[in-house]
Amino acid sequence: MMNEHPAHAPGECPTDEHKLHRRLFLKGLTGGTAAAVTSFSGLFENPVFAAETKKAQKHCILLWLCGAPSQFETWDPKPGRPSGGPFGSIPTKIPGVHFSSLMPHCAKIADKLNIVRSMKTAQSEHLQAITLLQQGNPERPGFTRPTLGSSISQAMGQLDTALPNFIFIDPIPGGNEFETFKAGNWAGWLGAEHAPVRLGGEYTQFKNETSDTIPLHDKETRETLRRFLTRKFERDRRSKIASAQNAAFERLKGLSASAHLFDVNKLSPKDRERYGPGSFAQHALMARHLVENGAPFVMVANGMNWDNHVFQHEIHQMLVPELDRVLFHLVNDLEERGLLESTLVVAMGEFGRTPWLNAARGRDHYPNAWSMMMTGCGLKRGVITGATDIDGVEVAEKPYNEQNFFATIFKALGIDPYAEYDLPGQPTFHRVENRAEPIRDLLA
Amino acid sequence: MKLSLAYDQKLDTGILGLAVDASGDRVFAACADGAIFEVDIASGRAKAFEARHESYASGCVLLPDGKTLISGGYDGNLIWHDVEARKSVRTVKAHPFWSWQLALSPDGAHVASVSGQYLPGGWKYEPAEAQEACVKILETSGGKLVAEYSHTPPVLSCAFSPDSKHVAAANMMGEVRVWEVTGSREPVSKWTSPSFTSWGSIKTHHYCGGIYALAFSPDGAGLVGCGMGAMTDPMAGNGKMTWQRWDWRKGEKINEIKDGQHGSGLMEALAWHPDAKHFVMAGKQAQGTWNAAIFDAADGNLVTSVDTKKRITHARFAKDGSWLILAGANGQPAPKNGIWPPWGRLQVYRVDA
Repeated sequence: MMNEHPAHAPGECPTDEHKLHRRLFLKGLTGGTAAAVTSFSGLFENPVFAAETKKAQKHCILLWLCGAPSQFETWDPKPGRPSGGPFGSIPTKIPGVHFSSLMPHCAKIADKLNIVRSMKTAQSEHLQAITLLQQGNPERPGFTRPTLGSSISQAMGQLDTALPNFIFIDPIPGGNEFETFKAGNWAGWLGAEHAPVRLGGEYTQFKNETSDTIPLHDKETRETLRRFLTRKFERDRRSKIASAQNAAFERLKGLSASAHLFDVNKLSPKDRERYGPGSFAQHALMARHLVENGAPFVMVANGMNWDNHVFQHEIHQMLVPELDRVLFHLVNDLEERGLLESTLVVAMGEFGRTPWLNAARGRDHYPNAWSMMMTGCGLKRGVITGATDIDGVEVAEKPYNEQNFFATIFKALGIDPYAEYDLPGQPTFHRVENRAEPIRDLLA
Repeated sequence: MKLSLAYDQKLDTGILGLAVDASGDRVFAACADGAIFEVDIASGRAKAFEARHESYASGCVLLPDGKTLISGGYDGNLIWHDVEARKSVRTVKAHPFWSWQLALSPDGAHVASVSGQYLPGGWKYEPAEAQEACVKILETSGGKLVAEYSHTPPVLSCAFSPDSKHVAAANMMGEVRVWEVTGSREPVSKWTSPSFTSWGSIKTHHYCGGIYALAFSPDGAGLVGCGMGAMTDPMAGNGKMTWQRWDWRKGEKINEIKDGQHGSGLMEALAWHPDAKHFVMAGKQAQGTWNAAIFDAADGNLVTSVDTKKRITHARFAKDGSWLILAGANGQPAPKNGIWPPWGRLQVYRVDA
């Protein structure tokens, strides 16, 4: 049983609107105003209902910067300080606020972004930290908490969508700790129907018609779908979880119908050029396109690129400008399409990087004081909240942890952060434990 | 040969560039705080030059007369310093991005600076072509740009031939190009060795590594490059310590570090011994027993080695070959009570035949 809390905090997306499609669906089933609609699919053929549903749908794009980017080379530069590294800082559209000089595009749209400069979390190893920042709460014995994407899939997933409710795009199937995480249980107690549909890497290795005229990455994308269709279905059959099997089958049908949305070569060439040639940029563009077509949650990662224990500055000089360019176009595109108000965009890793360099030209893991970006979906814009000390060693103002972060996300998406679950055989738990406060500075 | 530590001095921040005067008693260090220091080796006393770079100072060269020092930095600038007065003579904006490394022609007439930002150029993060020439040759006398050459960024290292007529530059992808110093824009020779570059099929979806130092052999026929072999996990820094020696006119490999004689880690420094029979390679050890070693140029065998416990960025022999000067850094320590401990290191080893 789940107990939703009815109250809305300021800035929260209107939950009633968000739930509209579900209410209409129930009305259809119980002979209300949409009583003429007698089937699930028929309900969504009702143009009024479809339009309202589309309008009410919220989305989330999570740019998962796995491995963990440096806050010094992105959102919280410390130029001239021993921790500052070689890159300078540049003014942004917000007076007095500077970003790394590697982020000139984001500096121009700083008034559309929100930066949290005071994340302070407790895990300094990848697997544990990824789990923490994907689940939003410390691990607790007795059950597996679903990840953000699975939670959103369950809470916001469209009933009729041809698209999966949780799409995860990552071209690198491996990645050490991230590989372990990726092989883990994403959906937890919610069940396999809320696990991600994954694209990229070895999930693309299936036989297809071959042609030298098809670029490798296009082949991989096509193969992703085929491979998913075959392996995932077979796996689910073996699992004997009937409901999950059915759900998986439905997702496969949806995927087949939407295969064109997963083909980067079907995206606008101009858009592809704007976002940049790298797989992360192309997949971020694909995420935008998927959201435009109704996907509730799309997560984009790129292996563990950001884990620069060696060559910190040598690799960040490439990764950060790509992220800068992607965020600039993604946020602007969503805004121009009227989607930013209903789409939450988050860019983050699992922690930050040390203020000091190791002897191998690298920065190591640092959960004590780090930064992330989130905007859209009714949040304020142009807010820089929290602060670190002069060298970025400690949080100086407004420390936030994973629970504050998740409470903010759920508030923004119109989902009760504190919903209580009392499931048979499991301990009582909440979406966000301890009634942790959302980051109020970001809520409208 | 035997190496024994004679001096071990600290500087405030990591040393990324090194020049040594003719006596071998005085060195010049380009440091991560942007400053250039003159350091007395025996006492460790350091005197800062007046002008500093706005980012890391990444290299410095001392003109043969010992009166002028030219430094390069990650601000893209080259600064001419009057050594005696320790004051700036001129600043030249050489690059829009970093000056990764400097080299001085043996005749003292030209300084080379290499640059280039690694930006994504394709699906697999092949480096994009540069918008501006990454290899620039300037007159040391007045700072005038006399030649610029194209190379795929990032271009990490450069060196002049002993006769000062050719300049070589190498990049992250292991591509080496050699030009006449003031000749055609087309290289007289170029080749690529894949042995210095990683692509993270397991973990990281990009390239990293490259050739971090170049040095022509004293006879001018060979060119040695060093770096790190491909890594299984590109974020571990554990590729094979690597050098290769090429016949640069043919672009053919003629020797390389031997199996069983290397550990793992990035090698950043090369220098020829004045006897022209040996060279030193040094860097950062990830695994193994040494991070600085002297090799026999004839057969490529390791002659002697030492574990300095530091990252070595530059190596120079004193003029008579009796001293080996190594510059570099420790890992940067965390601040204590708001004070950042020093992390630059300058070590001098006695070289006994």
